[in-house]
Amino acid sequence: MTEVSLRCADLARAFGGLQAVAGVSLALYAGQVTALVGPNGAGKTTTFNLITGNLRADSGTAEIRGKPIMGLKPWQVARLGVARSYQDLRLFTHMTVRENVLAATEVSAWFWQPGGRRAQQEREHRAEAALDATGLTSLADARAVDLAYAERKFLSMARILAAEAHIWLLDEPASGLDLASRIRFGSLLKEAQTRGVAICLIEHNLDVVVELSNRIAFLDQGRVLAEGDPDTILKDPALAAIYFGDRPQEAA
Amino acid sequence: MTAFLINLATLAAISGILASTLNFIVGYAGIFSVAHAVFFGLGAYGGAQVALLLVPNPFLACLVAAVIAGGLSLCLALPALRVRGEYFVAASLGLQMVAATLFAELKPLTGGIGGLVGIPRPELFGMVVPVLPLALVALALILWATARLQRGAFGRTLQSIRDADTAAEALGKNVNAAKTLAVAFACAGAGIAGALYALHLSFINVESFTLDQSIQIMAMVIIGGAGTLWGPLVGAVMLLSLPAVISFIPFIPPTEVGAVQQIIYGSAMTLLMIFRPAGLLGDMSKGKSTS
Amino acid sequence: MLFLQLLLNGLQTGAIYALTAAGFALIFGATKIFHVAHGIAFTIAGYVFLFAWRADWPSWLGVLASIAAAMLFGIVMERLVYRPIQRHEGSFFTVFVAAFGVSIVVQNIIGMIAGRGFATVDTPLSFSAEILPEIFVAPMLWIALATAAVLFVALTLFLTRHPAGVALRALAQNPDLIRTYGLSSNGLSVLAFAIGSALAAPAAIVTAMTTGLNEAIGHHVMLISIAATIVGGIGSLRGAALAGMMLGIAESLALTVVDTQWAEAVSFLVLFGFIIFRPAGIFGVTQTR
Repeated sequence: MTEVSLRCADLARAFGGLQAVAGVSLALYAGQVTALVGPNGAGKTTTFNLITGNLRADSGTAEIRGKPIMGLKPWQVARLGVARSYQDLRLFTHMTVRENVLAATEVSAWFWQPGGRRAQQEREHRAEAALDATGLTSLADARAVDLAYAERKFLSMARILAAEAHIWLLDEPASGLDLASRIRFGSLLKEAQTRGVAICLIEHNLDVVVELSNRIAFLDQGRVLAEGDPDTILKDPALAAIYFGDRPQEAA
Repeated sequence: MTAFLINLATLAAISGILASTLNFIVGYAGIFSVAHAVFFGLGAYGGAQVALLLVPNPFLACLVAAVIAGGLSLCLALPALRVRGEYFVAASLGLQMVAATLFAELKPLTGGIGGLVGIPRPELFGMVVPVLPLALVALALILWATARLQRGAFGRTLQSIRDADTAAEALGKNVNAAKTLAVAFACAGAGIAGALYALHLSFINVESFTLDQSIQIMAMVIIGGAGTLWGPLVGAVMLLSLPAVISFIPFIPPTEVGAVQQIIYGSAMTLLMIFRPAGLLGDMSKGKSTS
Repeated sequence: MLFLQLLLNGLQTGAIYALTAAGFALIFGATKIFHVAHGIAFTIAGYVFLFAWRADWPSWLGVLASIAAAMLFGIVMERLVYRPIQRHEGSFFTVFVAAFGVSIVVQNIIGMIAGRGFATVDTPLSFSAEILPEIFVAPMLWIALATAAVLFVALTLFLTRHPAGVALRALAQNPDLIRTYGLSSNGLSVLAFAIGSALAAPAAIVTAMTTGLNEAIGHHVMLISIAATIVGGIGSLRGAALAGMMLGIAESLALTVVDTQWAEAVSFLVLFGFIIFRPAGIFGVTQTR
């Protein structure tokens, strides 16, 4: 198979008595879309948080292109090329659309960014390109808080585009989008795939999963139950039963 | 009359520095400090000691003041990194109360309640210089610097942290470093204002560095408009000219001028928050929920 | 012996702090409003009692007037200041500044009317007697402690037994739940302000009869209430009351080591330490980020 961008092994995390993630092993490949599928509470978002360093894992390892990332702070993980979106988007609500995207290109916390004038022009170009790709150019001066729902979702994608990451972790990026927006979103992913971005998305709508992903990892109760190409996984009756709530009895 | 106006202008410039630097962390970083007078005080005592013990060189005094206030700003940055919202306001209140007690009690450094007296006039190249031009230059420099930072990448970084700190961090921004830096910058500016204040009055004591002062600086920012460039300056000039205006009103006895002044700016704060929360110069649409 | 004496003094201060802090915590818990003007309810209650006493009103009437004034202030704040701000989705800071503005105004008006500096209600209840060698205690101490204890029992009963009290607690835990059950959160919010502010009145009366009032005392009370609420753990009434008691005792006992002017700083060092090392407080759940 192609190059592994991110690999995690046996990630585990408990909250009090609840084992939210119980040994997740997962690999993301450059140019491939992996969908994390599973019922609510399966540990999908928690897995993201463990990878990005927002939550500390009780055990397990994770590495990006062979470099271990466990114990790193979220911003350090981000600088290794990981960008993520959130279910609740977390836009910079009181900044304009353009500022939101520009902020995604400006990584340094110092008073000014490195690289001087030329680097700044390059960042501005990147921001405009991201706005263009997401169809937000005409809204560049509107504040994020004033956008419509679909536009907000695309703004969150524009931030990721501008961040120039090679690993994308997307938390329900297509939920609530109409067909036209979904097609546009799909072409964003396709374009990123050709550039070798490794994409992992959490998605509940199985049609969208089939449409967009190359691989599926099926999570339940904090474990990866099955991993493989979409056809095999989605046709497995046992997994469908779990997914649609007809959970087999413990004995089964 | 000229002396009166020069005094007022000098104090206005100093307050302008205080309000602009506080605005930087309140309006852009969402760090609602009610301890700004602490760093004003640190700068004032530091600058005064330089003038008393070493030389009355205003640049040296300002430099030392900025270093002391900027360095000790970690006391404010630390809670700002740990907590937000009401908790942080409470922490900064706590810092303000403890610092005021320290100012009143550490006699060797601050002169205690009596304060430091006989601070020499500032001298440059052997000549005594008035504080007004120095204060105006400092104000202009600080306004220029804050304007540049606010409009540039650093301002965007702070605002992004204010609006969604986890998302900002997930984009590779070192949130703690940015907040610490913003607080250090603002507090160093307050320190410079303090040094100028000490050199201007040649007498300082803890009275100028209490919670009341912090609230007054906050009121300047809020009334003028937090998150705007000129708002805090307008607020500073307005609040400073208030006592002078009140003293022209005949039926208010001189002993009550202070109280009337406080009542006016107290009610201005409340009424603005109810009817125009973005402040006088603020963009109404931007004034809503910045927490 | 000095230690015991200071401990007893601390208990009295602690009872006062506990009552006001519980009021603040009740309001904050039920409405999520950081009511920094809470200290002003205390000041108003104290001065109303003082004026009633000066006008030779019977003391029970003075007490009633004082409680009524505190409640009225709380309700007026809720109706005229907090609710309009929350209608336009004001941030916590908007609320904070507005409330602080009110504090400044009321404090100065009281200063202008009642004069600045300390004023005390003289009563034989605060004459100290030597109950043990070198230990002086005034009847006021027992009154303060008994009042605090009775009010806490009453408050606990109200919050656990009375339907409105139960609703208040539910509001503190889950505001959405209340709305879905069709209870009026507006009415409950007024109730929280009325009860919370009323709790400041007995504390203010005790203060008026012992250490005395001044126009700026609300400041101090407000700061202590905030400190106690955070140290106790936001959302926990019991925590706030306990922390208030602790802070009172700590302030008093600190006098064995430092001078009086440091007493207040002691409370804030405790607060500062908690915010940095244990922001959830003693009884709270971490919810800082």
